[in-house]
Amino acid sequence: MASMETSKSQRASSAKQTMDGIMEISKILNTGLDMETLASVVRLCESGVNPEALAHVFNELRKESASIKVNQS
Amino acid sequence: MSSRPSSRGAGDSGTVQTLLRKLCCKITGLPEGEIQPYFQHACTILSSNFSTPAESDEHQVSERIRRILVCQGRERDAIRFAELHRKLQSQGLVKNRWAVLYVLMSLSENESKHAKEKSSSSLFVRGIPGYSTSTPFNAGMRRPFKAPPPSSDNIRTPSQMSNNTTASSGISSIHSDVRSDGPTPVPQSFLPSTTFVSMDGERSHKHGTMSRFADALSKTGSDNAIVPRAGRNQTGMMKSQGDNTSFEIPERELVRDLVFILQGIEGKWIKFDVTKDAYKADKQVGIPQAVRLLVSGLSECGWLLNKVKNYVETRSADKTFGLVGQSFCAALHQELTEYYRLIAVLESQLQEDIDQGIGMNVSGISLRRLLVWTFDPLDRLKKLAALVDICKGKKGGALASAIYSYLRHGDPFTRSLVKHILTMVSQPIYATLLRWIYDGELEDIHDEFFVASDPTVRNDRLWHDKYSLRKSMIPTFITTDQARRILLTGKSINYLRQVCLDRSPIKGREAAIKVDTSHAEWMFTQDLSNNFLNMIDRVYKETSRHLLDVLHSKYKFMDHLKAMRRYLLLGQGDFIRHLMDLLEEDLAKPASTLYLHNLTGILETAIRGTNAQFDDLDILKRLDVRLLEVSPGDTGWDVFSLDYHVDGPIRTVFTPECMIMYLRVFNFLWRAKRMEYVLALIWKNQIFNAKLLKSIPELSTILHQCHMLGSEMVHFIQQTQYYISFEVLECSWHELLNKVKEAEDLDCVIAAHETFLDTVITRCLLDEQSRGILTQLRTIFDLIIGFQQAQDSFYQTAQQELMARQHFAKLQKQRSDQGDWGLTEELEEEERKRRIEFLKTVIPTTRPKFAVLAQSFQDMVQQFLVMVTSHQDVSLRFLSFRLDFNEHYKGREPKLQSPANYQRMKKLT
Repeated sequence: MASMETSKSQRASSAKQTMDGIMEISKILNTGLDMETLASVVRLCESGVNPEALAHVFNELRKESASIKVNQS
Repeated sequence: MSSRPSSRGAGDSGTVQTLLRKLCCKITGLPEGEIQPYFQHACTILSSNFSTPAESDEHQVSERIRRILVCQGRERDAIRFAELHRKLQSQGLVKNRWAVLYVLMSLSENESKHAKEKSSSSLFVRGIPGYSTSTPFNAGMRRPFKAPPPSSDNIRTPSQMSNNTTASSGISSIHSDVRSDGPTPVPQSFLPSTTFVSMDGERSHKHGTMSRFADALSKTGSDNAIVPRAGRNQTGMMKSQGDNTSFEIPERELVRDLVFILQGIEGKWIKFDVTKDAYKADKQVGIPQAVRLLVSGLSECGWLLNKVKNYVETRSADKTFGLVGQSFCAALHQELTEYYRLIAVLESQLQEDIDQGIGMNVSGISLRRLLVWTFDPLDRLKKLAALVDICKGKKGGALASAIYSYLRHGDPFTRSLVKHILTMVSQPIYATLLRWIYDGELEDIHDEFFVASDPTVRNDRLWHDKYSLRKSMIPTFITTDQARRILLTGKSINYLRQVCLDRSPIKGREAAIKVDTSHAEWMFTQDLSNNFLNMIDRVYKETSRHLLDVLHSKYKFMDHLKAMRRYLLLGQGDFIRHLMDLLEEDLAKPASTLYLHNLTGILETAIRGTNAQFDDLDILKRLDVRLLEVSPGDTGWDVFSLDYHVDGPIRTVFTPECMIMYLRVFNFLWRAKRMEYVLALIWKNQIFNAKLLKSIPELSTILHQCHMLGSEMVHFIQQTQYYISFEVLECSWHELLNKVKEAEDLDCVIAAHETFLDTVITRCLLDEQSRGILTQLRTIFDLIIGFQQAQDSFYQTAQQELMARQHFAKLQKQRSDQGDWGLTEELEEEERKRRIEFLKTVIPTTRPKFAVLAQSFQDMVQQFLVMVTSHQDVSLRFLSFRLDFNEHYKGREPKLQSPANYQRMKKLT
């Protein structure tokens, strides 16, 4: 049981590391994504979503949000 | 979270949807309830059939990201990215790494590619707080315009600024206060008072200037190409505005144009200027002077390419250009293919740059890089063009020579290029050469080879006239001697086949051919190896040897040569003597009464009667009589001649010209021989008559005179004969035999034979130069004949007298036997009268006659001696020494006393 616990925590920490790495890449590339969004993106990608389509979705959503903001104000 | 197994797999649509919903909330910032339309939209996009991106490979994507970063000048970030990527890979938690990277990259690319319109909400707004709120109505309007990336927007040069302001004098009111936040302080007076719509106003205004540029370029209609660049890189453009024209072509455009030019195709800006015969950038187009120079330097490639290409095209179509020319074209073509390969690489590079890095100022190919990359190909093209220049209008061997002249180039690069081309060019020559020396076949329909064949020549002149060297086509790397040997080798083979009808193969041929075919470069690397020389020599020697063997064994060349010596040059003494005995009577007759068939009969008899009968039947069959052209007054002696029929291969040596020479020599020798014969008769008569005529003591002086003159003549003729047979014939013959024995090829034999004949002709005084001496000699011969006749008639009268006296004595004896008186008064008186009468008539006429003959003979001999001494030929001196061994004539002739003096006098006059 103890070993399972440790392996779980190890896995969690390595997952954290991975995400940190991806986050840094995202920063370098000026994507403007925060940690939460990035995590979603990674999970989506892992589940086999076409990355090009995903990027497209992002663009569309951003466009929409911008127009929403404009409308709001 | 990504490690959770439930999140994996494309089929887990529930998770995907949850995540997507979350994302929608996050990005739009709307509460859960309101996102339904966006979520649905997102779902449609995701479910729509997107093609998998080209780079579905992690490495490629990471490479591309790194390149983008480097292009943006963020090397440190690129290194950091590489590190992170590596870490990601080693951790191995994320399986679809490339997808993640791709999404990130796409999001980042949007950033730079499409400016702010999509990401402004996150980044731009954050960077300049309050902006978005100050421009509330323009968010939608902003979209059509292309905004500069933040970097170029924030850092503005004064010139750009001023340009903006001056150009926008009419609409200066649209500057926003955001400007005042920029690094450059702007005078307030130029700045607009209104604070909103600043960005969009500026953009639209800028767009106005751009369209003005575009109008200026409207001729070529390339606004779309100009505009993005103008937006991207204003600084560079503005700087160059002053020094050239109103605008500048972006470097990328020039590079793209140049890639066309490199292929010899006119570009958009750079055109072919016919008057200057060069590619020139359009004068109207704004290109700085330095860049112009670069461009013209680069476009040289295109010009050279066109030149080479034109040559190749025109020549390839030319059917008469020949194999050598064609292989030259092929070699050039090969080089051009290499060159095209380079261009293809350039073009793909360019395409790749355009594909990925439109946002980058520093593209993959710049003019300078192009310059560096095309440096070597340019050099190569230059060399090719130089080759094309010197090869213009040349073909075959001459072309190879022209290329060979470049092989001694100091630059190893050029040398290897030229060597490669020369190897290809000389291949056909080499192949033809091998066929020629091994098989004697001349496959040269385009007259390229240096051996020419004249098909009109018949077989009997094959050796002499059929094949010749085409001087202009001998490649310079083949020496004249080698060319001669090559010619001889092939000629020998043809001669063997066609004239000697010898088809026997020469040993070791097949093996040799197999070895040799692939070494064309042997020909022009003779200073490095002897292979070619050895090969030529070996084949030449083998073939010549074989030919000579065939001539000697099958065609008995030596036998024929000896027969010439024996019959035409009077070597067979007994035969000639016998023939003369038999012919003497006939030949004394006038030439017109001679009949060939009679003479042939006599010849036959002569052969049967002498050792000649043991000769080869083939040779005897060839022996014949020939009558020379008859001129009035000629006797048989003048026109009679022996003849020897030659045919087949030996005719190559004994050409008709040679036979005529033989006949001339024979004629001379025949005459000399006749003199000997005549003198022998004279001597016989003298001996015979000397005893008879002892009884007439009154005649003794005349007889003495005759003997004196006769022996003088005998001496003369004997020495002349000696000279002819030993000094002339034997010496030359000996030399000839030696040369024939040592001869390497048939040409040597022919040359030796001709030399032999020439020497004989010259020394027999038959050449032009000795015509005077020959006439003199002929006169002497005539004199001898005259003497023979005079002596004969004298002996005749003397014998008549003798007979009369004998008759008288007989009568006297008869009478005394009968018992009468032996002599009566009147008989005695009668006899005495007759004797006085005889002495009175014969002696006074005969003595001066012989005296005159003797005198003229001596004069002539003296004259002859003078001529001989002054003759150039040294061998004639021996004759003069022999003739005047006791200086008998020297004492009489002052000119002979100091021949040197005489010679000098002769020269002076």
